[in-house]
Amino acid sequence: MKLNIDGLLVYFPYEYIYPEQYSYMLELKRTLDAKGHGVLEMPSGTGKTICLLSLIVAYQKAYPLEVTKLVYCSRTVPEIEKVVEELRKLMDYYAKQTEAKNDFLALALSSRKNLCIHPEVSALRFGKEVDGKCHSLTASYIRAQHRSNPSQPVCQFYEEFDAVGRQVPIPPGIYNLNDLKDFGRRKGWCPYFLARYAILHANIVVYSYHYLLDPKIADLVSKELAKKSVVVFDEAHNIDNVCIDSMSVNITRRTLDRCQTNVETLQNTISRIKETDAAKLQEEYRRLVEGLKEANVARETDMYLSNPVLPDDILQEAVPGSIRTAEHFVGFMKRFLEYLKARLRIHHVVQESTPQFLKDIYEKVCIDRKPLRFCAERLRSLLRTLEIADITDFSAITLISHFATLVSTYSKGFTIIIEPFEDRTPTIANPVLHFSCMDPSIAIKPVFGRFQSVIITSGTLSPLDIYPRILDFRPVTVASFTMTLARTCLCPLIVGRGNDQVAMTSKFETREDFAVIRNYGNLLLEMSAIVPDGIVAFFTSYIYMENIVASWYEQGILENIQRNKLIFIETQDAAETSMALEKYQEACENGRGAILLSVARGKVSEGIDFVHHYGRAVIMFGVPYVYTQSRILKARLEYLRDQFQIRENDFLTFDAMRHAAQCVGRAIRGKTDYGLMIFADKRYARADKRGKLPRWIQEHLTDGSLNLTIDETVQLGKQFLRQMAQPFRQEDQLGLSLLTLEQLQSEDMLQKIAQIAQQA
Amino acid sequence: MDEEPERAKRWEGGYERTWEVLKEDESGSLKATVEDILFQAKRKRVFEGHGQVRLGMMRHLFVIIDSSRSMEDQDLKPNRLTSTLKLMEFFVEEYFDQNPISQIGIITTKNKRAEKLTDLAGNPKKHLAALKKAVDSTCVGEPSLYNSLNVAMQTLKHMPAHTSKEILVIFSSLTTCDPANIYELIKTLNALKIRVSVIGLSAEVRVCTILTRETGGSYNVILDESHFKELLMLHVKPPPASSSSECSLIRMGFPQHVIASMSDQDAKPSFSMLHLDSTGEPGLTLGGYYCPQCRAKYTELPVECKVCGLTLVSAPHLARSFHHLFPLEAFQETPLEEYEGERYLLAWHVKKCSAWSVISSYMTHCTAVLAVCRLTGHPDVRWPDYKTSVYFSTRN
Repeated sequence: MKLNIDGLLVYFPYEYIYPEQYSYMLELKRTLDAKGHGVLEMPSGTGKTICLLSLIVAYQKAYPLEVTKLVYCSRTVPEIEKVVEELRKLMDYYAKQTEAKNDFLALALSSRKNLCIHPEVSALRFGKEVDGKCHSLTASYIRAQHRSNPSQPVCQFYEEFDAVGRQVPIPPGIYNLNDLKDFGRRKGWCPYFLARYAILHANIVVYSYHYLLDPKIADLVSKELAKKSVVVFDEAHNIDNVCIDSMSVNITRRTLDRCQTNVETLQNTISRIKETDAAKLQEEYRRLVEGLKEANVARETDMYLSNPVLPDDILQEAVPGSIRTAEHFVGFMKRFLEYLKARLRIHHVVQESTPQFLKDIYEKVCIDRKPLRFCAERLRSLLRTLEIADITDFSAITLISHFATLVSTYSKGFTIIIEPFEDRTPTIANPVLHFSCMDPSIAIKPVFGRFQSVIITSGTLSPLDIYPRILDFRPVTVASFTMTLARTCLCPLIVGRGNDQVAMTSKFETREDFAVIRNYGNLLLEMSAIVPDGIVAFFTSYIYMENIVASWYEQGILENIQRNKLIFIETQDAAETSMALEKYQEACENGRGAILLSVARGKVSEGIDFVHHYGRAVIMFGVPYVYTQSRILKARLEYLRDQFQIRENDFLTFDAMRHAAQCVGRAIRGKTDYGLMIFADKRYARADKRGKLPRWIQEHLTDGSLNLTIDETVQLGKQFLRQMAQPFRQEDQLGLSLLTLEQLQSEDMLQKIAQIAQQA
Repeated sequence: MDEEPERAKRWEGGYERTWEVLKEDESGSLKATVEDILFQAKRKRVFEGHGQVRLGMMRHLFVIIDSSRSMEDQDLKPNRLTSTLKLMEFFVEEYFDQNPISQIGIITTKNKRAEKLTDLAGNPKKHLAALKKAVDSTCVGEPSLYNSLNVAMQTLKHMPAHTSKEILVIFSSLTTCDPANIYELIKTLNALKIRVSVIGLSAEVRVCTILTRETGGSYNVILDESHFKELLMLHVKPPPASSSSECSLIRMGFPQHVIASMSDQDAKPSFSMLHLDSTGEPGLTLGGYYCPQCRAKYTELPVECKVCGLTLVSAPHLARSFHHLFPLEAFQETPLEEYEGERYLLAWHVKKCSAWSVISSYMTHCTAVLAVCRLTGHPDVRWPDYKTSVYFSTRN
């Protein structure tokens, strides 16, 4: 249908539209008009993706000079593929309606592992291996050697692409990963490099967060994206953690050992080259004296996305003399390495700030701040000069050099924690140096700075005001949308007590309590008797789950549950978990029924959807607080308090509730879906917890569903499941939660729609 | 769970939040919306199905009754099993009343096994007796959907192609214990054109959804006892026959009822063929129905002749089956403004038929009742059923 969104003609490729989608597009349009950033929360299953795509594409077509590119960031490869499919639908609709030839180029980009078509390289199993092998076939000096010595293997796909691919633009259309591979095979071009090249002039790019947020990758891939782009982060409820992870470095003794080998290899190579080709090193030296002028010019003319690892002021300067020659640099790295080794030889926990660390390193081994800052850049240059083919081997030294640059660049927002052993195994020495980023805004700052509109959206972003604060940006629209429903298809219940009236909670003091564990067991047992097909239960941590399951086994609860349903358990092993998941789905499919015990923050709670019968009920045992004893977390909390005036408790609750919401939200993936959401902890009934749940869940949380006993829960659940099992057809939704064009245009519907969005 | 259902007391049962039933619609409460949807569905059901649809008049129906552990649940009073069996008795009677030339069989499933309670037969008495006896059986273990469907299929697959082959499953448990892949069985059922419908007593189970969708049956889950009864009664009406089912002529006998008085000298008391296998009463009677082909005697119709295999029915039986084929036109809702009556808000009349457009006094009386129902907002409006309607038409 063709919609008029605030004066903009939007093609929407479906016959019906949800009222909240219309409202969402209105807000989105407003954000784009203002050329600002937005935070939008809308429940999953209400078609966020298609709203984003159809509005932004319409905007691009209407104002080609205002918005030139859409960069859509998602989390996983399947999600990326889904976005491309929606886009394809949209473009087909455009083609049908306007009968004009499609001139849009949209493509998905993923790692080499997903795009490689080289017969040998693509057969490798791990991403890192593929990257390394690819590099050893396509590096510029390898190709130069190939020219003089044809027996040197190169990748013919890359050669072909390099010869002709750059001149001939890829024809407009929608390309998902497989389309790119097919296209590549047909032309004999490398799809990965083709895609990387094509994103520069594509209208729509769909790829993973890391291509924008991780400084190492962003520098390669996204540096040249146009400033007039709209960037969308979908499923962005975890974006702060992604930012932090991309900036943090963990160094173990193994890293150092491998780094040691790297340094030795470097040294050997240098001495060999010196004998054969001293001019090369001389040339490099000359380049370094001139400094990083090129990069500086580029940044000044605003051509590139800036890189947080490459701070502004070092671009002004030349590489300091002490590390300019290759041998000096290797010696420098050796010293740095020895220092780190010495630091790891400790028996107690050390926590210090970056200035403290720099002072210490200056006193102990006389390493200045300035050369440290150039470490990453210098190493890159050296690796290029030495023509080292397989750079995967050098990941350790690259990591250390990044660490060196970061630690000397940022005096705020980072902390260094050296732990002699892991908390769980206090007897085994396993020293780790955590260089941990506490400020997610550092990684995302260039993104907000460069692009004119950045949209952060997800099903669970409540409370909305916290994201702008921790990411340090000023949005123009902040809105939360509810799900309009023809029937109440979600049923959140807070269970606070067992039938024996003992309070149910995962609070630290009582979590080992026999009665609490038994009550949790009884809850699961009772639910397993009334909920059909699949139940997903989430625990707060692996250790807690192990304890409880062991205890249930001793009490015989597990045996009783198994009479009703099969039990599957998520473990930390990815292969085991995916096996369990597969079997779980099979059991749900053939009527046997199953329970999946998993962990909040685990793999299951984030990426896996439990549509329809795969999750008729989700039980959240306890409040999934992050492990509060961790020093990294403590440091981060302190930082948040000092910098952003966010109290520890507020942040912890926010973090716990977004994970809880994420877990229970797994069960409802659309308006025809239905499921019970059981929060099994009395603390959820408190206003400060309840208030942090997304609005679309809160709305259905009535006073009657707080602090229930197990019996009451069973009664309510039974009733709910029967109600929901009644036949429900599309006509029942029509006019209420599903609109045709005429219905949408009626006066009172427009009024109703205006109320859907809640501005924060 | 209590092992002996009889001893269970009301207070041992679950909480019943009866006050929630009374909730007003204003807030858009859950109860109201779902009931509204149900009401709409019910109205739709009444209105549709008219027109010339071929119905499977000769039905062979197997009812599978879940007798697993979950049937001891007390959310139906006194428990699910007793309640179900009672409704089944009613169903069997109604079934034969409306489908005189059809047959029914009953299968129970428990402890991962399936057991035939009664074979396919056209006589309600045997089924009723078996159902009465089944009340005392204990409910143990898990049901097996696969095994019970398989048992039903073994019999149904030999039935001639012109009959409607159906299975109705009353499924209380949420799990099924199957020895093999049930999806294979569903394919076979589909190939054999066996229609499987399911009435769930607890919640929607995926495998049942697939089962009914693939075989063209219906899947409903009960809300309470009255809804259960309503759903069960839906299966009394014969389903539309698939267009691919064969047509064939069936030989039928229409025996006359011979009444012989005691004073008649020629009359000799004789046994009915039906009593051959029943050991109860002596069964020597004077009159009866005599098979036109082989002169075997029967006391009741409809029946399949034990001697020559002829289907024996009486004309009224056929006529009763007939009204499914030619149902009355739907009633049409007319708002008050368009109707020149005096006292009533709404009036209903049968559309198209000119003789009915002028509503007789009798009819308006009837609509008054309907209007009151509409006014109180009670969703359970009783539509005049077909029999009464036929009665009206004779009055006019």
